[in-house]
Amino acid sequence: MVFSLILLFELTLIYLAFTERVKRFLTILMIQGLLLFGIAYLQLKHINILYLAFILSETIIVKGLLVPLFLNQMRKRNNLDRLAHSKVSTFVTVMAISAAIVFGFLLSSNIHDDHLQTKFLAASIAAIITGIYFVMIHRNIFTHLVGYLITENGVFLFSLAVGSEMPMLVNAAILLDIFVGVLVLGIFANRVGDRFKKMHVDDLAQLKD
Amino acid sequence: MYLIVFQFLFVLTFGMFILSKKHMSYFGLLIQLGLAGITGYWSVDVLIHGTIFERELLINFWGSPLEIKVDSLSAFFILVLNFTLLTGTMYSTGYLKPYINEKNHVEFGLHYFSLVWLHISMLLVCMLRDGLAFLVAWEVMSVFTFLLMIFESEKGETIRAGINFLLQMHVGLVLIMAGFIYAFVHTGAVFSFDGLTVYFARFHPFPLFLLFFAGFGIKAGFIPLHTWLPHAHPAAPSHISGVMSGVIIKMGIYGILRILTYIHTDLLAIGIFILVVSAISGLLGVMYAIVQHDLKKLLAYHSIENIGIIGIGIGIGLIGTAKGIPVLAALGFTGGILHILNHSLFKSLLFYSAGSVYMKTHTKNIEHLGGLIKRMPVTALLFLLGALAICGLPPFNGFISEFLIYFGLFKGLLTADFQTDITIMGTVICLTLIGGLTIFCFTKVFSIVFLGTARSRLSENVKEVSVGMIFPEILAGIVIVAIGIFPIFFVKAAGRVAGLYVEDIPWIIQNTPSLSGVSRASLVFMLLTALLWFLRRTQQKRVQIEHEPTWGCGYSGADPAVHQYTATSFADNYRELAPPLMKVDKHFESLKEEDIFPRPRSFKTETSDRLEKNLVEKPVRKVIYWMERVAIFQTGNLQHYIMYAFLFMGLIFLLTIFKLI
Amino acid sequence: MNGLGFLLSIVSSLLFPGIIAVTKAKMSGRKGPGIFQSLFDVARLFRKGSIYSATTSIIFQIAPVIYFASIVVALLFMPFGQYKGLLSFEADFVFFAYLLAVGKFMMIVGAMDTGSGFEGMGANREALYSLLVEPAFFILMGSLVLLTSHTSFYNLFVHIHFDSFFSYLIALLGIYLFIQIAMVENSRMPIDDPKTHLELTMIHEVMVLDNSGFDMCLIHLTTGLKFALYGGLIANFIFPETWTLYAKIVVFFTVNLLFAIVVGFLESCRARNKLAKNPKWILALSSISMVVFLSVLAITHKLFLE
Repeated sequence: MVFSLILLFELTLIYLAFTERVKRFLTILMIQGLLLFGIAYLQLKHINILYLAFILSETIIVKGLLVPLFLNQMRKRNNLDRLAHSKVSTFVTVMAISAAIVFGFLLSSNIHDDHLQTKFLAASIAAIITGIYFVMIHRNIFTHLVGYLITENGVFLFSLAVGSEMPMLVNAAILLDIFVGVLVLGIFANRVGDRFKKMHVDDLAQLKD
Repeated sequence: MYLIVFQFLFVLTFGMFILSKKHMSYFGLLIQLGLAGITGYWSVDVLIHGTIFERELLINFWGSPLEIKVDSLSAFFILVLNFTLLTGTMYSTGYLKPYINEKNHVEFGLHYFSLVWLHISMLLVCMLRDGLAFLVAWEVMSVFTFLLMIFESEKGETIRAGINFLLQMHVGLVLIMAGFIYAFVHTGAVFSFDGLTVYFARFHPFPLFLLFFAGFGIKAGFIPLHTWLPHAHPAAPSHISGVMSGVIIKMGIYGILRILTYIHTDLLAIGIFILVVSAISGLLGVMYAIVQHDLKKLLAYHSIENIGIIGIGIGIGLIGTAKGIPVLAALGFTGGILHILNHSLFKSLLFYSAGSVYMKTHTKNIEHLGGLIKRMPVTALLFLLGALAICGLPPFNGFISEFLIYFGLFKGLLTADFQTDITIMGTVICLTLIGGLTIFCFTKVFSIVFLGTARSRLSENVKEVSVGMIFPEILAGIVIVAIGIFPIFFVKAAGRVAGLYVEDIPWIIQNTPSLSGVSRASLVFMLLTALLWFLRRTQQKRVQIEHEPTWGCGYSGADPAVHQYTATSFADNYRELAPPLMKVDKHFESLKEEDIFPRPRSFKTETSDRLEKNLVEKPVRKVIYWMERVAIFQTGNLQHYIMYAFLFMGLIFLLTIFKLI
Repeated sequence: MNGLGFLLSIVSSLLFPGIIAVTKAKMSGRKGPGIFQSLFDVARLFRKGSIYSATTSIIFQIAPVIYFASIVVALLFMPFGQYKGLLSFEADFVFFAYLLAVGKFMMIVGAMDTGSGFEGMGANREALYSLLVEPAFFILMGSLVLLTSHTSFYNLFVHIHFDSFFSYLIALLGIYLFIQIAMVENSRMPIDDPKTHLELTMIHEVMVLDNSGFDMCLIHLTTGLKFALYGGLIANFIFPETWTLYAKIVVFFTVNLLFAIVVGFLESCRARNKLAKNPKWILALSSISMVVFLSVLAITHKLFLE
């Protein structure tokens, strides 16, 4: 059951690779939030109810609802293009992300450790690589945010892979970082949006000095 | 007895120069038939009984009699090269007819003399085991190939490609020689292939194998050692291109296979290495082929692709052996080795028919051709046969070897572990992509060259070539169809060779009812097609048949001669997907706003091989740059040179004093 | 009895275009043609004469014949529950895929033979898309091979079991992939819209603009056969082995009917992809099948994850 959800998570990554609509990115983030909710619930049923409640609310509320909705607001206010323009053709992106998924499985099948649940590791590696790759190929700050959030989902899965309860706090911290980052950048982008037509990082380069 | 005749034929070749130009090809063919007959007899015997044929030649070499040895690997290659060289010589009779008046007696004689000696040297390469003798035969083969290639030596490009070929072959020779010497020095065993056994048994084989692979790989044209191939093929006369692609590059594969017979450890690493290099060669070869407009250059890139497929077979065979998956090993090797035969057949057929097109239209640029099927129907249909075969489509021979490889892969999937499964699936993806891209490429080539209407004057008043040129193509065509429909016999022969690497091959082939299934399905397919065609014929007799211009989608000015698709446009949507590999230069002048009455404009695209640019041209330019810097010492002044000598002596003196040397 | 799959597929192929047309008519609120209209069309074409472009050669004339023959022979591989196909051997799906490629090769060169720029466009798109979709099919078949430890269509489908939640997910993905591969191979939505009226953006329909009479009749028949081919495969994919023969026949036709309705439904509700998007879309199918393959590795415990 957990593995099925992980499988679906991998499929969202492929969908992310070949879709070009900005709106779809947010849908993917939402779906990933829900999937992570499911995974976390199934995996952590037995732990302290308080922690569980925290983690579950984090996944479903923050990841699944709050962040995507906030980003959607931002998207609308800044009149972003409907399509995300990347430097690399989508064709190559699909291949790269498929390779990342295979790499994740290959790597985690080679790791044998009692404290590590490798099935999460496989998906987490794929998600982290995808997120970073996503940031690299796009020029829009908005899509950068999406990339960061995907990476964060990967980190979340990674913390599940490590298995004990402590890393959840680590994850919470990272989540907080990202969340604050999103907020700050969002507000920043709102301001930048007034100045520049497009939110390209190239434009930001003009702001140095 | 046969041995004496065999050697007598060597001497007989010198008679070539006393014949008239017209009779040279027949004389050459006669000698080659003799050679082929004798060696073929030995080889068939070896393949049927699985014995090893050993004899001593009458020639003394380095003080000891020269020994020839034919095992199943040699036998297979001998049969393949005999067939291709014979068809090559047959084809050359017609192909070189226009040159009879242009070329003088010596040039013509030298060409046929080289052709026969190419045959002899290749036979010897396959049969000799002594290291030095092998290297000599190998070198003789390269030199005669060079001589054959530069037949049209009045063209600068031909000479340049020839020199390029010769240089690269020598690099290969040096690498192979280095391999032999290294093994010899480290073991002190005999300087021969058998001596390598000792080395491989005692040391890690992988490094030395790498050396040999580089040496033989240059001949075979594995990427990135392929850079001579795309230049050599267009430069050579077509029968030589056919022979070169059909068998000369296979000698590289022969070398690799021969070395592999002595290696029994480290097989996994070697297998993965070969697999990766081959997969890259296969994919990139066909990807570069699609954007070519020079018909022979395009076919040359396809040779790289097919070498890749052969290598994939060998690579998975090795992985199967190393991992203990007999079915993967057996079918991989068998498929790879059978593909050697298959490729030599359809590629020589394709080169011959491309040569016929070139002979009649005097252009190799496919953008100038078109509609040739109406003027050269037999050549067109034979080209189509070759194209279907090279795409690996049933019911032709290319399918059989690819099928064996696929079958091995899918069977191997069941018993392999995780990493091997991923490797296998990667190989399957590569093979399917190679297959699909080949179909893309050959639908393009065939339809641009032979279908539609003429794209320039060159292909207008063209006639079919003579029967003498079609005959060898038909010979190759017959074998192509025969392998496609009755594969068992040929697969068994290839299986015999694969038996050198894997033990229970016969068992596996016996237990593979698929091949009879394939031939049954192929027969059903052909019968059904014939039946439908017959039905169609009867239907067409009853109804009215009209001939009109092509439907222009409502545009009455449509004219196929102007609006039909070109090779560039056919490859365009593919080219958009592969920018990192292909550099496409577009030369055009864009329309400006103030151009109210635009002048005539031109649009030109060029594609170049990025690998070749970055791996060969750029470093070479760097080297030349530094060479030129060094050249300032070459002043031409005698005093300076004496000073250099003096300085050098001083240097030696100083170094000796300080005990540095 | 071995030919049962073949016979049933032929029957369903005859009705396929009709059902699609009826679904589309109903979806758009039209009365639409009858289910058998496409059969009448084919019969009429069979009696009609032909017009050939003066540019064409024998290739153009033989292409539809080979195309039709390739699909019919491919149908001979169709198993039906416990009955084998008329042709069945190990790794027959490789032969199957390459046989379809033969037909496609001939159709492409046939279209190029007319010398029409529009047909050239269609031909070259067909060549590109079919090359891109090939890996998806092979990886999917590879996954099935791994799942069942058998290598022929018949054995694959007989030995396939779905028991856990996870395997149902894989089955769903498999069916999804089969449908999408069928859509690409048949040049239907979302790759190509057969009802579009702009030749510049068509694929399959533009390739057959110059065919007429007997050839057109064969091409129409082949369209149905190709759908039935994939419909049959999907039906075989989901047969539970314990069911009786009659139940299976019912299921077979139901699946084919559903498939046709789905095709009609998709074509009524969905917009065609932008042409530039098609290659990526098709490539994504291969990625999905790669994920299926990985999960099958996990099911068979080759990929050992904790």
